[in-house]
Amino acid sequence: MKRRVWQIFGPLLIAAGLTLALFLAPLSFKRMSPAAVRSASVAMSPTVLAGARAKNQALAQGAVPFFGSSELSRLDPFHPSALAARYHRNYRPFLIGAPGTQSLTQFINAQTMLPKLRHKKAVFIVSMQWFTRRGVMRQAFDYFYSPLETVTWVLKAKDTVADRYAARRLLCMRAVRKDRLIKSALLQVAAGQKLDRPMRLLLEARLTVLHNEDGLFSHFTVNPHERELARSIRQLPAAATNQQLDALAAKVGAAHTTNNDFGIDDRFFSSRLGEGRLAKMRGKQRSFDYRFGPEYSDFELLLAAFAKYDIDVQFVIPPINAKWASYTGLSQAKLHQAVEKLRVQLQGQGFNRVLDLSRDGNRPYFMQDTIHIGWRGWVRVDRTVAPFLAAKRQPVQYHLNSQFFTKSWRDAVVSGK
Amino acid sequence: MSPLAPYADPQYFAILLIALIPVVVGLWHGHRLRLWESGVALVFITWMFAGPHKWHEGVALVAYVIWQLALTQGFARYRRNHNATWVFVLAVCLSIAPLAAVKLTPVVALHPSLLGFMGISYLTFKSVQVLMELRDGTMKAVAPIAFLRFLLFLPTISSGPIDRFRRFQKDYDAVPERGAYLEMLGRALHHILLGFLYKYILGYAFGTVMLPQVAQAAMAAHGTSALIWPLLGYMYTYSMYLFFDFAGYSLFAVGISLVMGIQTPENFNKPFAAKNIKDFWNRWHMTLSFWFRDFIFMRVTFFIMKHKLVKNRIRVSQVAYLINFLIMGFWHGVTVYYIVYGLFHAVAIIINDYWLRFKKKHRQSLPHNRWTQALAVFITFNVVCFSFLIFSGFLFLNRLL
Repeated sequence: MKRRVWQIFGPLLIAAGLTLALFLAPLSFKRMSPAAVRSASVAMSPTVLAGARAKNQALAQGAVPFFGSSELSRLDPFHPSALAARYHRNYRPFLIGAPGTQSLTQFINAQTMLPKLRHKKAVFIVSMQWFTRRGVMRQAFDYFYSPLETVTWVLKAKDTVADRYAARRLLCMRAVRKDRLIKSALLQVAAGQKLDRPMRLLLEARLTVLHNEDGLFSHFTVNPHERELARSIRQLPAAATNQQLDALAAKVGAAHTTNNDFGIDDRFFSSRLGEGRLAKMRGKQRSFDYRFGPEYSDFELLLAAFAKYDIDVQFVIPPINAKWASYTGLSQAKLHQAVEKLRVQLQGQGFNRVLDLSRDGNRPYFMQDTIHIGWRGWVRVDRTVAPFLAAKRQPVQYHLNSQFFTKSWRDAVVSGK
Repeated sequence: MSPLAPYADPQYFAILLIALIPVVVGLWHGHRLRLWESGVALVFITWMFAGPHKWHEGVALVAYVIWQLALTQGFARYRRNHNATWVFVLAVCLSIAPLAAVKLTPVVALHPSLLGFMGISYLTFKSVQVLMELRDGTMKAVAPIAFLRFLLFLPTISSGPIDRFRRFQKDYDAVPERGAYLEMLGRALHHILLGFLYKYILGYAFGTVMLPQVAQAAMAAHGTSALIWPLLGYMYTYSMYLFFDFAGYSLFAVGISLVMGIQTPENFNKPFAAKNIKDFWNRWHMTLSFWFRDFIFMRVTFFIMKHKLVKNRIRVSQVAYLINFLIMGFWHGVTVYYIVYGLFHAVAIIINDYWLRFKKKHRQSLPHNRWTQALAVFITFNVVCFSFLIFSGFLFLNRLL
């Protein structure tokens, strides 16, 4: 009988013991190969964005994070990653963002990176499309949600306006609420309490498990973006001034925008707007309004984090394709008010590096499609970003204001010029 | 407190198995700890309906159970001395009424029925089955406590498998020998671990990882002729998800039943290896299809033959199939795609019958070897997957048709 008991339950016990040992052991992982880091820096996948290993190793080797969202995947020859590689710039961009990453996702998924960015520089492309009434899209947040980064944050959280606000916001998300341990920790932070000791121990054990999972299971193989980037790099001349690049960008842009009058990339147009779908979009965005909503306070979380870690950030506000906007009825006046509100929030707190391109939506070949910067737009970004990253780091003076976490700010109207 | 979702995550097993330790120790020593088992069931069922969004379902459950108990007790008492058909029909209708109300409410109202709760379908199958057996005389009486225990058996409460009262009661009354119980525990372990692989790994991979991607691809190709490829991808991915998710769940339910010394019937037996549609329904969601076979298909067939409504025997079975699968479709929900799904299977099984008869007649001239068998499995698999594409509602909800 004993023999049979062992036959049945022995393997289970051994397997359970081994698994537990593996996950709770303080494993250290060997460095990723340069090829793997290069691949991860343009992967823009949830594995990379929500994981810790790839991002942090790249940063430790001097990569500069380029935060953003869908525009980052427009890997044409003038994309920052292409220019940096072709012209052997002193920086290598690490792309942090994908369609659907908004302020709250960026804030949480930056947590393990922030200490490594202390006293350094970063580039941040903000999309006005994030600033909807509802704020971050719930499904997209869940898709990029990182328990590892969230636990890292919650263990550092203090009883401040920012941390209480962040905890409250995270508790709105389904992926977060599903996790009992994280949920109860967040409830404590949101209530302004200190995490109790058993909770802390559990979270720390959890963090070890998550770090081991990240190290064991995140593998980076060649991704399609890498191939696309390689193709783009090959199209660039060996040397070029910014003006020459601009002229080339106009040429490449012209060659890619032949089947429509909007200056939209041919392939984008035929796959997304072809076969009668364009007509359905006429006047569709008349009610779009980016002036209010939780995104403003979510964005403030990022600003507070950048200030705390003394990071010098170059912000970029891309335009919206003007022909597209007028076709869909998007209100320019409201858009400019939204941009103005964002600029008040940035510059009012000392974030003075703001490249506001929001009025450049009518320049030819500036946008690759409807709302995504491309070709000449990227060249324009490069004109500001390259010198910023080449120059010596300058001291920054940020003075945070917690009124940006309030409802009255989220609902405020700032009149545009 | 947030409600407990049965088998939704590995933590559920940890909590449940800890609560069942005394039961295991008791069975090991030849005793069934009836009170403890009932207590665990009570606590867990209460917990499943805890919280601000679920408590009214718990209230509905209590009301439902009282209703079914009164019906079965009343009918059992009546049946001792009488046997009028209309009383039986009335009892069955009253038993089904809450479920029918729950299924029909979304058609006429925007909010779900207040009578609804998680698992109402499966409890209704069990209650109706008891009424049927009382009518047939295969059961003379049903003790109220035994009925409740059967109805609310914790491992199967939310989604089956659908056990039969007499089979369940036999297991419950008998405590297995120690050696036999140890083997049951071994099978329980196998079931639960295989269930983990099915539900948490394969079901997750197909349902949570792949399905949104193929759905996205299909939506992007909407209106173009290239739609067929992502749609095929959706069809197979959804079919795999449906199987691994539900088969995994069923393995859990059978596994936990075994821990409690009850051999709940299996629900799946390699359904995608079926060589025709009939064979498929003997392998897929077996306890449901056997319930439908015994209590709908057979009854309809007898009824038609007894009253000579249809003369031709082949027509009789065809009508019975249609009714059987239409009811199954309606049971899934009163939506176009569930009903089309039911009709599709009825038509498929009728065609299959034609083919089987044709094959019988021409046995000499038709080849039969492993290649034809492989072809049969392949065709059946694809027909079934297509039916699941209908079932998923994807075509209808996204107006892809």
